[in-house]
Amino acid sequence: MTTSPLVSIRGLEKRFDLSGSLLEQITFSGGRFHRKQEAVHAINGVDLDVQKGEALCVVGESGCGKSTLARTVMGLISPSVGEIHYQDHRIDNLERKESLPYRRKMQMVFQNPYASLNPRMTIQQTLEEPIRFHHPDWPAIEVRNKIHEVMESVGIDRDWGSRFGHEFSGGQRQRIAIARALSVDPEFIVADEPISALDVSIQAQVLNLLMDAQESRGLTYLFITHDLAVVEHFGTRVAVMYLGRVCELADTKTLFSTPRHPYTQALLSAIPKLEDDRPNHIRLKGEVPTPVNLPSGCVFHGRCPHANDRCRRQIPELIVTDGGNQVACHAVEEGRL
Amino acid sequence: MALLEVKNLDVRFAVRGGDLTALRGISFNLDKGERLGLVGESGAGKSVAAFSILNLVAQPGYIAGGQILFKGKDLAAMSERELRKIRGNQIAMIFQDPMMTLNPVLTIGTQMVEAILAHRKISKKEARDIALDRLQKVQIPSPEKRLDQYPHELSGGMRQRVIIAIALLLEPELIVADEPTTALDVTIQAEIMDLLLNLCEQENVALMLITHDLGVVSQVTRRMLVMYSGRIIEQGPTRDIINNAQHPYTRGLISALPQMGSPGARLFQIPGSMPSLKNVPAGCPFHPRCEFATEQCRGAMPEYVHSGNVDVACFEVAHRIEQETRMQEAES
Amino acid sequence: MTTATVSRWDRFRESFFWYSFRRDKVAIISSLVLLLMVLAAIFAPLLAPANPYDLAQINIMNSELPPLGLDGADPSFPLGTDAQGRDLLSTILYGTRVSLMIGFGAVVLQSVLGILFGLLAGYLGGKVDAVLMRIADVQLSFSTLMVAIIVGAVFKASFGNLMFGEIAIYMLIFIIGVAEWPQIARTVRASVLAEKKKEYVDAAKVMGFGTRRIMFRHILPNTLSPIFVIGTVQIANAIISEAALSFLGLGMPETQPSLGSLIKSGFDYIQSGSWWITLIPGMVLVVLVLVINLLGDWLRDVMNPRLYKG
Repeated sequence: MTTSPLVSIRGLEKRFDLSGSLLEQITFSGGRFHRKQEAVHAINGVDLDVQKGEALCVVGESGCGKSTLARTVMGLISPSVGEIHYQDHRIDNLERKESLPYRRKMQMVFQNPYASLNPRMTIQQTLEEPIRFHHPDWPAIEVRNKIHEVMESVGIDRDWGSRFGHEFSGGQRQRIAIARALSVDPEFIVADEPISALDVSIQAQVLNLLMDAQESRGLTYLFITHDLAVVEHFGTRVAVMYLGRVCELADTKTLFSTPRHPYTQALLSAIPKLEDDRPNHIRLKGEVPTPVNLPSGCVFHGRCPHANDRCRRQIPELIVTDGGNQVACHAVEEGRL
Repeated sequence: MALLEVKNLDVRFAVRGGDLTALRGISFNLDKGERLGLVGESGAGKSVAAFSILNLVAQPGYIAGGQILFKGKDLAAMSERELRKIRGNQIAMIFQDPMMTLNPVLTIGTQMVEAILAHRKISKKEARDIALDRLQKVQIPSPEKRLDQYPHELSGGMRQRVIIAIALLLEPELIVADEPTTALDVTIQAEIMDLLLNLCEQENVALMLITHDLGVVSQVTRRMLVMYSGRIIEQGPTRDIINNAQHPYTRGLISALPQMGSPGARLFQIPGSMPSLKNVPAGCPFHPRCEFATEQCRGAMPEYVHSGNVDVACFEVAHRIEQETRMQEAES
Repeated sequence: MTTATVSRWDRFRESFFWYSFRRDKVAIISSLVLLLMVLAAIFAPLLAPANPYDLAQINIMNSELPPLGLDGADPSFPLGTDAQGRDLLSTILYGTRVSLMIGFGAVVLQSVLGILFGLLAGYLGGKVDAVLMRIADVQLSFSTLMVAIIVGAVFKASFGNLMFGEIAIYMLIFIIGVAEWPQIARTVRASVLAEKKKEYVDAAKVMGFGTRRIMFRHILPNTLSPIFVIGTVQIANAIISEAALSFLGLGMPETQPSLGSLIKSGFDYIQSGSWWITLIPGMVLVVLVLVINLLGDWLRDVMNPRLYKG
């Protein structure tokens, strides 16, 4: 509440239309024509503020809308409803020319390092293009220095410049992808599952690299992941998402020590830990419903051990709890949990 | 006698420019009803190991040496016909991707009945009853309905349950599970792992679990093997290895886990990455990434040494043990 | 582990492309034959004993001489002469040149059109895609030959024979090129649809690059391998189309014959025993088309990423 957030997401909703053109929507049943429209409700009303300098982690299982959220913030997808603001400027409805300054300030690291580098471009070309594009007036020597600087900061050899992406391992490619994002000196980086495609020993390397970059460049992260162990280590605050809604938002320490939402509790207990040799997690009933036909009321009620009638009818809003954290759960609000 | 005994298994891939060694001198035992974890990162050869146990290594791979004794009979020397009697029958396999096992154009029931009839001479009705029974065992809701459904009508977690049901069809003695829960969400993964564990215990089936997830191995298995670059570098009781790993790679792998570091601090990192099969370094394949590497490590492949209940292939550990015994001798 | 920069030539020599080429006898022989034919066609003015375009060198008295080894052959005409007394060897060399020019020219034209429309349709999608692909569908539902015949006939009627003779080669390139672009456009569109979902395209968008830069600098280079394959086969197709048109009298005039018009000109004399005027150019045409198609097949196998992944 003291300073304005760096990035704020307001009332975001995103639907992907499934039903196609008008002709494909018309179905014939029971002797009559019907117009049937179906959509995937990927995000259903998300409000999030990313404060400068923090690493806000968004956690959730597949289909919870976390990747859609990342892509909407980066403008790869336009929101159905809602707004994205960057330092109090609305950026989701800008023309390409107007959005260029924000492209430099906001960058993205992708999940799959095998697909995020153009296979026909050398490392040199991959890193050079963004710099030349955003700084057309820079002399060649300055461009080269910049390339060397980012290569050094992610720990890749200068000599690699003339090689192609496919000659490198996954971890090295992810370093190159991070170097590309850093090459335009961003303030804010959206990282969409940046380590989930990598091996364990490589994950640590990339996580350390991201933390180093945050420290030395004062970066702010929106970090999307399904891996709670990473969140505990990396995140300043955590937003837990389920079926397109934020169900709990708390600083990392609080969330891991005292999770409030039943879904967060189940998620936390499901992480396979090294210490215990028998699983003892909270069992959830059933599986995640499809985001096509959302359940009424609380989206989690079908799997929740504490669900009652109210949960089936009424959508819970995020309420502020005693510690200043937010949770969207009737049971918590009523003091049942 | 052990249920499965792998002795000095070598697997190579014939590619242009010569052979690549994918597995080098793999030896381990698996007892009846035992649960064994096989851990390694991509490129370590753990999937090749799983496939070669069933003598299923695909071209251009081939078994270049060693024995795979299943109940005393060598699978590596068996004809394709004899192997077919064992695969799916006495040894079942679970893959990461359920669609590798399931045929998308046949119903679950058809596929299960077919699998039974391939090995047992019973009527279709009886086979269907067995299928239904196994679906109940894996706790699928409304199993009768599932028999007439196609794989694409089921969710990922449900499909993996069906796969487990198929694996259990013929009451196998060994289930080889290659990353069975990697493609699933955390909550579903926990459930499936639970189920697999309980079933193996109930039916006294041996389980060989191949995974990259140390957490899963720690929870499910009693013994584990750690693979690096086609070699087993450490094997022993899971708890011993997790709590007190000997090999520098295993130690690094465990300390690199985010849950091992304190929040916000840098994680322990092993530099570099696993060498590709094309350029495996001489000597101990881990030496370029190892902080303890010496001239000896660069020159020769370390032999296995016993450290407590654990077998480790590392010169550093060998030296340490030597020193310790010398100290003890000096004391006494 | 190579740390030094690797030259393009080294890279090529280590590539799978070169490796599989060296191991494939059919590919080696086909490319040798094709290379020979292309060289012979390019250097036709130097190699040919006579210039068939030069009317002064032609003597009508030499007409319909048989090739060497047959009764009445003249050693200065190794493959015999045609009905107008032109040396058949020289005419075939020049004719191959014309056929290859039309083949390459038509493919260049259809590639330019096909790549442009395919990229636009695939990348922009929506209405652009719908309109372009419906045009392509409509064009594909007419036979190439039919369109070419109509257009060719209209042109011939409106320009007159003499004028048509001069621009015939450009006309044919234009007709065949325009008639066949949907083939390439569809292939390009399909690979663009696959490529544009990849994360490197998203990365380029996030960088703020414009549509044109993303389409041509990032996506296009990644869709080239299937275009290579189709382009090769399309050269053969274009040569055949040209031959067919010429055979029907809508192609190259007899004064600057292509292989097709040579076959046609000999066809009138086949009953009178002068079979060589048709048969020899016909064989040259078959060999030319065959080696190009064989190369195309081999290319398709090599460039199919599913076959050599790993």
